[in-house]
Amino acid sequence: MAHPEPTGEEEEHHGSPWPVIIAIGMGVGYVGIVSVSIPMLLVGLAIFGGGLGGWIHQDLQRPSSAFYGAISAIESKFPRVSARKLGMWLFLATEIMLFSAVIGTSWTLRLRTTTPGAAFEGAWAQPGEILNVPLTGINTFILICSSLTMVEALGAIERGNQKRLRLFLAATLLLGITFLSIQAFEYQHLYFGEHLTFKSAPFNVNPLYGPTFYAQTGVHGSHVTAGVIGMAYVTRKAFKGGFTKENHEAVELVGLYWHFVDVVWIFLFTIVYLI
Amino acid sequence: MATATATGTAPVEEVRKRPYVVVFVILAVVTFIELNVYSLGLPRLETITILVVLAAIKASLVVAYYMHLRYEPRWIALIPLGGLALVAVLVAALTSSSAHP
Repeated sequence: MAHPEPTGEEEEHHGSPWPVIIAIGMGVGYVGIVSVSIPMLLVGLAIFGGGLGGWIHQDLQRPSSAFYGAISAIESKFPRVSARKLGMWLFLATEIMLFSAVIGTSWTLRLRTTTPGAAFEGAWAQPGEILNVPLTGINTFILICSSLTMVEALGAIERGNQKRLRLFLAATLLLGITFLSIQAFEYQHLYFGEHLTFKSAPFNVNPLYGPTFYAQTGVHGSHVTAGVIGMAYVTRKAFKGGFTKENHEAVELVGLYWHFVDVVWIFLFTIVYLI
Repeated sequence: MATATATGTAPVEEVRKRPYVVVFVILAVVTFIELNVYSLGLPRLETITILVVLAAIKASLVVAYYMHLRYEPRWIALIPLGGLALVAVLVAALTSSSAHP
């Protein structure tokens, strides 16, 4: 496949310093977590946020790039898939391992603590005993709706329909924010209303029920938050006319991430709320 | 198999044929079934089995149609499958350690 020759402008785009700043911010924040230093964590988050904002601001100044020169070697070995999409799939594979570790750890704690003689004794909560299953069922439906609007947005720009692209991206963003809002309401109700904390649980339920619940749904919620930020970026860019029928890969990549978050929730909903 | 380009652009006619809404309806119906599985009054093991199978069906539909794995070159599927293979190892290890604490 022939690729357009890179221009000076695209080379400048490819050489953005912001990803490096983002990486530094993540590194500082990670050191803050490991050393249990809240100030260092906040500094890391500030650098990370500044880097992310700078990168998005820089990218919004130009339409979607068609620069593929740097990935031509990879494409010759893996035809018809761009390096960026390949990179996203590889990233998602690592995310599978992250979530399986979190869910697997929680499941193991559940199995161990419900056996006689365990350090933290007490039964695990039955479905609906503490958690609001109907409310989360509605939230699950909202996430499924957002997957439909996301894929319809991609389909729209693949047909060159800018109006439907903007409409469906804005709808996806709104649905994502709604999901997070309901989850925040659920957390507030569980923590302060039901007294499901990191150390204790109501109804003589095992005290590890709370930490495992917040760990699993919290890690997922942070991913939804990242997805909402990505969605806000592509939505803003779409409203600026930044995507075309030919160049819209960012929409597809953000969509891949969004659908993955939906897939994880499908399993979490079953494991945490229904079993 | 799709004839996608490097940018992931598929032919317009192919995009129009993709069953996004049908998949959405199936996902919504299966979610409704999940919420009502306990009303069947089945034993716990059977209930859990049904719930896990339903979740796997929903996840497969999202990955195949919304994440376009069905329309991508087949080797792409090796990437998530590789991740799942490691998950299988993790599950085996955790199950083993749980059985012998």
